[in-house]
Order: sequence, then structure tokens, then C-alpha cells
Amino acid sequence: MTNDWIAHPIASAVLPTDARPVTVIRSPSSARLSTIKRLIELAHYRDLLYTLTVHRIKVRYKQSILGMSWAIFQPVSMTIAFTAVFSLIARMPSGGRPYAVFAYVALLPWNFFSSSVTNATGGIVSHSQLITKVYFPREILPITYVLAALVDFLIASSVLAALMVFYRIPLSAQIVWVLPIILVLTAFSLSIALLFSATQVRFRDIGMAMPLLLQLWMLATPIVYPLSAVPERLRYVYMLNPLVGIVENLRRVILYASTPNFASLGTSALISIILLFASYFYFKRVEVTMADII
Amino acid sequence: MIDLEFDGVSKKYLIQQELNGGGTRFPLRGRLRKLTGNYGDFWALKDVSFQVTRGETLGIIGPNGAGKSTILKLLSKITAPTSGEITINGRMSALIEVGSGFHPELTGRENIYLSGSILGMGRREIAKKLDSIIEFAGVHQFVDTPVKRYSSGMYVRLGFSIAAHLHPDILLLDEVLAVGDVYFQAKCYDRIMNLKRGGTTIVFISHDLNAVEFLCDRALLLNHGAIADEGLPGDLISQYEVTANAAAAPGPLKDRRDGSPRPIQITRLTFHDHQEREVLRAFTGGPLIARVEFAASQPLRDLDFEIFYYSQDGKLHCQFSTSLGCEPIDLDRGEGTVHFWCPELGLQPGVYYADATIRRRADGKEIDWQYRSALLRVEPGKCVSGNFYAPNQWRITRRKEAALKAKFYELECEEQLTTDAIHICHEDSPRGKGTIGLE
Repeated sequence: MTNDWIAHPIASAVLPTDARPVTVIRSPSSARLSTIKRLIELAHYRDLLYTLTVHRIKVRYKQSILGMSWAIFQPVSMTIAFTAVFSLIARMPSGGRPYAVFAYVALLPWNFFSSSVTNATGGIVSHSQLITKVYFPREILPITYVLAALVDFLIASSVLAALMVFYRIPLSAQIVWVLPIILVLTAFSLSIALLFSATQVRFRDIGMAMPLLLQLWMLATPIVYPLSAVPERLRYVYMLNPLVGIVENLRRVILYASTPNFASLGTSALISIILLFASYFYFKRVEVTMADII
Repeated sequence: MIDLEFDGVSKKYLIQQELNGGGTRFPLRGRLRKLTGNYGDFWALKDVSFQVTRGETLGIIGPNGAGKSTILKLLSKITAPTSGEITINGRMSALIEVGSGFHPELTGRENIYLSGSILGMGRREIAKKLDSIIEFAGVHQFVDTPVKRYSSGMYVRLGFSIAAHLHPDILLLDEVLAVGDVYFQAKCYDRIMNLKRGGTTIVFISHDLNAVEFLCDRALLLNHGAIADEGLPGDLISQYEVTANAAAAPGPLKDRRDGSPRPIQITRLTFHDHQEREVLRAFTGGPLIARVEFAASQPLRDLDFEIFYYSQDGKLHCQFSTSLGCEPIDLDRGEGTVHFWCPELGLQPGVYYADATIRRRADGKEIDWQYRSALLRVEPGKCVSGNFYAPNQWRITRRKEAALKAKFYELECEEQLTTDAIHICHEDSPRGKGTIGLE
């Protein structure tokens, strides 16, 4: 057994100067990684993003009888309950469309938002085993929850299509607006997911407050009632909730075949994008010490 | 070429300290302060600088809390340094904590993809290596079974196998080699030796000093967040073991007379080389003197002295005893010394703890037993493979020769004069003999 390390062929002259990637790790205060570099790094990890997302979807429905149909079952049963309460009992106006469809169109984005945020918030803390053992861009965790919720959203959308056929609600070319609206919805859900998951690492209060917060948030969004029911003078404040613009415009383009309300959609988009950048920036700042305080 | 460089790296942790009193008036503010501020500082690493050359295997050793894990965490980017700079030249993978990212509900195959991508492999790369990973882990039959049904052995084997299929420029190794049964461990070592031979730079952070000595070209000794020493693993480890054990062991038996009313007590156990110098290390196949000092407070009869050698895992390896083929010892009141002379030590390289006992022969009862009272490090001397070194000599003749009996020495004397065709290798070592001297 020889331990004479000088005897090993290490001589630097032998090895050509190579094109290996060089990583420099500095203290967070002196390391100012640009957002672009961070996004490039994230792109390097796209396979992990994909695998983890698939894994979320698979694991969620493993060892359950209904399996993937849970994605449908949940919004459908909520719609039935809402229809019973708000249409049969309370006689809520639904803008000339059957209340079931009226509610379902709004419940789809709401469920997407609420399940993204709920799951993502605990997502980092529940992966503390990984966080303290392996490095990967931590935002992958909340992102996978949002993507998994997006898949559920798409599955549940099939029921909407069925409802539309059943109630003979015609589609128009305005339906193309659905894509940008979903994009805004995803951006907004992601920004809240990033913000909450990063904060939850230090303050577990976020997780505690989550059910209450989501209930209040749902009431502040036109899901069981139409936007028109909100008093005009309160709308400016009301519209600051980006979900208002999202839900309202989904209803407009899907149910009423009309153009989106660009003012409300624009407000939602603007708030979502600014918030997304801010949350991402905040997330990456907190990220470096996550493993220490988790 | 430098593959890895630590340049003045420090890492400070904040230790949460409970606030006492004063928090009653504004309990919320107190709790907020507890969560946000008012921490004590703890420097896990302080101004640590070192370099790792390409192709080199560096071992990092040190007691618990020395900062080993912090270095590991900094290198694998899990946490950031407080100051200083770490430069990594190449793709680095960490082979730490096998089974990272396994999900119990997913099957072995699914987990290979999951864990592999967490460790930084691409999906295509995993697909290519899938068969090899399954083969290496030996879980072929169960690859489509959820891992929650795996035995713990299968679980760690699969985890290691995935990690072992990374092909980094720089490999970060933790205590992962202690997984699975001996066969699997041998496989793991083989894998790492292959990587090493292939020119992979390796940083090995471990408590397993034998593994560090075996694998590494150079070692760092870490203590209290700073580099205490640096050098060849063998030298560093023996020095570290001596100091570490001096601190942790019950203490060298220097005049350890605790007022317990024992009729006789061992006061000191030391080792010496053949020139009588006190030593802490010996060599396989080399001579060794073990010296036991004792003090008797009353006359005693029918005694035996013994020294037991235990390896680090607590296994008894050998024993020196005065009981073999000799009359028991009778002692008067007073102090004395027992010398054991071992001409050729049979112990293989490693670290051994020694117990010294005094026993009454009639009933075998210990009168004094000094538990783990000395440390002996055995270094490769006449190092051969196997469990122990057995003294032996050899000769060769250029003609057919009947099997010789025990008469090696006699033959040598007769025939060395007559023919130079005979070559005999031996040392003139005195015969083993126990001596006892009363001072």
C-alpha cells in the first residue's frame, strides 16, 4: 500500500487545459448571480423538474381507488354543493348561464391556485431531507407543485367541455384568450408558491394560516357570485386581487363568447409578473441559508 | 492543475438562544425576536484554505464538530460560506447519504429516475445506465416493486448504485462506504478505486480512518473549524488517533490510583521498541515490549498478568499472558513491573486498544482490570495479507529436497559452508520469553 501522493501522475503539464465548467462559491452577500444566470441553471435541471413533476402526479394517486379521477371528483363535487346552496337555496345570479357551469369555470382556476399554493407552501419543509443533503435549485420544488396542479387543472377541464356540450353553450373564437389567461394564472400561482414556500422555512405560521387565508381569499374572488355583484366603488380595491381578473375573464371568453376585459386582465398580468420577479428574487436570497434554518 | 480550492473560507452559524424573562409584556414581539434575531455566533469553519490537485484523493478527518460536514455542505452547495471563496474546476458530484430522494411509494425503476435526476443526471443518461444500475444493486427481481417493500439492504444498495453511476470530474465522498454486506462494500471500493485510477479527483470526508488511509493520497486534519495539520494519511492518522484517544480514552494510566481499596493495582501500561524507547506505534512483524507497572498494598499469591488487544470494533485480536506454561506469580507488598517481550508482532496494521488485567489463577477472578488503558497503532512492517502475521523463514535449494522438519537453523549452519545454492532468510531475534522483575 503506497500513500506517497507525489508519486501519482498529477503533473499539470500532462493534462491539457480543458474546458471544464468552473464553479465559484462565495458568500451570499458578495455573490450577485444575475437572474438570467439563475434561470440558465434552472434550465440545466429541467430533467429533474420533469421527473419530480411526474413523480408528484404519480405519488398523489398511488394506493387510491379513484386515482386520477380525484382531479375531477373534487371540483365536480364542489360545484354540486355550490349549485345546491347558491342556486337552489340562495338564488345567486349567474349571468344567464346555468349556475353549475358558471361556478365550475371559476372553480377550475381557483382549485389550481389553491392546490398549488397549499402544496408548495409545505413543499420545501417536507423535503428537508433532500435540502440538507443534495443541491439543486430549490425553486424546483414549488414549481413542481404548480405544474402538478396544472395537470390536474387540465384533467378537470375536460368536465367543463362536457358541461358546455350538455348545456349547449356555444364556443367562439374568443376561446383563444384562454391560453394567455392560464399563463397569467400560472405566473400568479407560482409567485405566491415561491413566496410562501420560502417564508414557511423560517416562519411555520404561513402553513398554519393557510386554510384560513385560502377561505378568505376564495370569498374575495368572484367564484360563487358574479363580479357584477361587487359594488362599483369597491371594485378598484377588489381588482387588486389578480384572481379577480383571471376568473372574470375566463368566464367572459368561455361562457359569454365576449372579448376579455383588458383593463382587469392587464391589471392581473402586471401584478402577477411584478410579483413573480419579486418572489423569485426573494426566494433566491433566502435559498442560500435554507439548509441552515430548515 | 488545481481542481478544488478553498480560499479563506469561513462559515458562521447562528445558534438560537432562548430569551429568558422580559418577554411577558410583548409576548409576540419576544417570539418574533426569537425567530429573527438574538442569536449566538458559532464559527463552524474559520479561515480554511486548501487545494486539491487533479487526480488526487484528499481525505478530511477530525473529531465530531471539527467542521467536516460543513465542508461537505459548502462543497455540495447546500449552504453558502459566510466569507471566502471556493473554486471548483469541473463537474462535481456528491456521493452522500444513499437513498437521497427515494420515495417509498414509487418503484425501484421510478426511484432510479427520481434519485438520479436529483443527483444531477439527465433522463437520457439514466436510461442508458439503467440496466447497469439495477445490475450493480442486484435488485433485478424487484425493480418494479415500490421501494417501501424493499429490505433495508436493497434500499441502500440501490441508492449507492445510482450514485456510483455518476461520472464526475470531482467526487465528494461521505461515510457512504459503510453500506450493505461485505461483498457489496468490496464492490463499492472497487468502483471508487476505478474512478480514482481513471483520474477522478476525490474528496473523502470520513470517520473511517482505515478507509481514509487506504484510499487517500493526502489528508487534512480538521479541529475546531480550522486545519490542524496536513500530511500523508498514515502519519496524520496515527498522530490524530493518539491525540484523539488521549482526550477520549479513560486516560493514560499515569499513576491512576483511585482510592478504591484494591489489594493490587495496575498503575501504568506502556509500549516500547526494542531499544526500550517508549512508543505509541509498532510494526507488523516487528518487536514490541509491553510494560505493566503495578502496586500491591498487601502480599498476594497465585497471580497472572494479561494484556488484551482489541481492534476499534471491539474484537479481541490477541493476548499476552503470564499464565502460559509458567507458574503463577507470588508478590510481596510494593511496586513492580511486568515486561512482555514480543519478538515478532502478529497484529495486522490498524489501531488497537489494550486492556491490562491481573487475575487470580485459581478462580480466574480479576483483581484489577484496566479497561482500554493504552492505545497501540500497528503500522505495516512485514505486512502480508490475511488476518495476522505469522513469523516464518524460507530457504531455496536448486535440487529436490524432502520436506524439512523444524531443523532450519541447524541446516543453515551445516550447509551454508558447503554450498552457495542455499539462500536462507532470517533475522537473529531472541526467543520469546516472559520476564518478571520486582523492583
